[in-house]
Amino acid sequence: MMADMASVLVIEDDDRIRLSLVLALEDEGYVAEGAATAEEGLARQRKSPADTVLVDLMLPGLDGFDTIRELRRADDVPIVVVSARSDTHDIVAALEAGADDYLVKPVAIKELTARLRALRRRARAAATAMPTLTFGELTILPLAGEVTLNGEPVALTRTEFRLLCELAEHPGMVLSRQQLLERVWEYDFGDERLVDVHVGRLRQKIEVEPSAPRHLVTVRGLGYKLQR
Amino acid sequence: MRRLRQPGLRVRVTAAFALGALAISATVAIASFEITRQTLLAGRERSALRAAYFDANVVNAGLGDDDPDVRELLRSLDTGSTRHAIIYRDGDFYARTADAGYTKAVSPDLQTLVGSGQAAVQRVRTDSGAALAIGIPLPDGTRFYIIDSMSELDQTLRVMSLVLALVAAATTAAGAALGAYASRRVLRPMRVVADAARDIAGGDLTARLDPATEPDLERLTTSFNRMVDQLAARLERDRRFAADVSHELRSPLQTLAAAASVLSRRRDQLDTRSAQAASLVADEVDRFQTLVTDLLELARADQPADRRPTEVAELARQVVSRKGFNQALVTAEPGELVWPVDPRRFEQIIANLIDNAVRHGGGPVAVRLGHDDGIGWLEVDDEGPGVPPADRETIFDRFVRGRAANARADTDGTGLGLALVMQHAVAHGGHAYAGDRPGGGARFRVEFSLATDGESA
Repeated sequence: MMADMASVLVIEDDDRIRLSLVLALEDEGYVAEGAATAEEGLARQRKSPADTVLVDLMLPGLDGFDTIRELRRADDVPIVVVSARSDTHDIVAALEAGADDYLVKPVAIKELTARLRALRRRARAAATAMPTLTFGELTILPLAGEVTLNGEPVALTRTEFRLLCELAEHPGMVLSRQQLLERVWEYDFGDERLVDVHVGRLRQKIEVEPSAPRHLVTVRGLGYKLQR
Repeated sequence: MRRLRQPGLRVRVTAAFALGALAISATVAIASFEITRQTLLAGRERSALRAAYFDANVVNAGLGDDDPDVRELLRSLDTGSTRHAIIYRDGDFYARTADAGYTKAVSPDLQTLVGSGQAAVQRVRTDSGAALAIGIPLPDGTRFYIIDSMSELDQTLRVMSLVLALVAAATTAAGAALGAYASRRVLRPMRVVADAARDIAGGDLTARLDPATEPDLERLTTSFNRMVDQLAARLERDRRFAADVSHELRSPLQTLAAAASVLSRRRDQLDTRSAQAASLVADEVDRFQTLVTDLLELARADQPADRRPTEVAELARQVVSRKGFNQALVTAEPGELVWPVDPRRFEQIIANLIDNAVRHGGGPVAVRLGHDDGIGWLEVDDEGPGVPPADRETIFDRFVRGRAANARADTDGTGLGLALVMQHAVAHGGHAYAGDRPGGGARFRVEFSLATDGESA
């Protein structure tokens, strides 16, 4: 039982929010810990990594964006931003820094746990039974959870990997942003910017020339497709 | 309110310049024409008179002979083709040719005058144009007349008047051109101001006027720039205030939401009174959360719609089923409905209309989508009491709740749902309407402009 309990690190400078989130998440069956600063959170994550990290954007010292980048530098731990900021450029910047999901305060605990569960499933779903797929110089090994570009391994986050697998399962077929949100993020309706930013990040990693993508292409007005 | 459109300043200045130029050039032309004409005519008359006297002397000398041949005498005169000599003698007119036309040119007045022994000149009109009729009395009641054609002079004057008219027209055109140029020159700084104002209205708060370019308009540029500075400062203040309010409201709400969730989960461990209080807190936190989210959404009224191709029928079905209704409620025109709309706002419109139908109309009975002529429309029907005609405009105002809601003491709604529907519709260049559903109930209709260019709402 204990081994199956997911752990969450809450990096939030507001003491009351941090405490209430930790209490609520513990009630929902998570092992939750709080950190008041980015520095404290990063140190804690290095020492005993949590399964998921919640990050506020406005933090004293190192801010949320840098915290996300710092976490990303270490590994592909799922990162969810929980911020009072709802401006498009904040959302996009946080996602571009490497966050997997973005929630605007106040977020209901039910919604938050639904997001965390979806992220957990995403982490596991990397092991679906799919043969090795090749798209030109790009090779996807779904079972091993690996991707290589010209034989060189590419480091993808779980969300990026799920997104790539979802597209690779339907080669040449257009998937709409809403379809991708449903399948990768498990939203029944969500913010399409999530998809756009993740596709952008994915292109940076899997395309030889990210500004002129050959495999992960945009189909104007419809969505995205992965082609050979 | 609407006035007849006055011609523009530039048109008026141009017209004034043209009229002024026309008045001056016409006056000068007419005056110079008249003076020239008088001078030419006077000179012409003098020379005609001189020639006539000379001829009269010749005739007089010829008539001195016995039994003179008048016609032969006339033929001997050197009159050329423009002058015609006529002799009146013993009650008969003699002319060199049988042309009686010239005889007619000698008017009775002239005859009387000459008959009374005076030499006289009269301007007359003949079949071949203007002429001078000169009469000189000779001895024995004989009268000598010369009809001196002035067609040459006439021709000169005609050419001259034509030239003057052309000059006047050219001057008028030059005046108009000068007026157009001057007004454009004068209005050019205004255009710079207008361009700057347009940029600012379009959201570019860095647009300023350069006071150095038009020293005469320094006061205008200075106060314009100061106005824009203040506007930018105020907008920045408003934006920061909205952001602060947003943050300051969202943060404690997050604590409340999480804490309320803990309370709700542990309701079973609480005594009845505490459990009741906990459930009240949880419900109110929920509502407060919706209210704050809606309010903050309303406060961002100026944000343009983030339009992108959206499968609206699919989206409507998702919302309908999320709200716990059958997807079959949604009827759309056949084929894929892909509209350029802001999916987030479109989703909110449908969700809010369904919430409204649930609260005040006993639940939605139909959700329809269609489009014609670049207008996309969405209709949500319910079978409730409908909206009284008097409330159909105000129902979209903020914090207006349905009358039925008050009667039922239903306090679920925030009173902002329909205001948001209207705001989102307007952001899409459209509008929201409340009306009757045939057969009873209310029908809410939202229209969207699907033309994406040339719109900056």
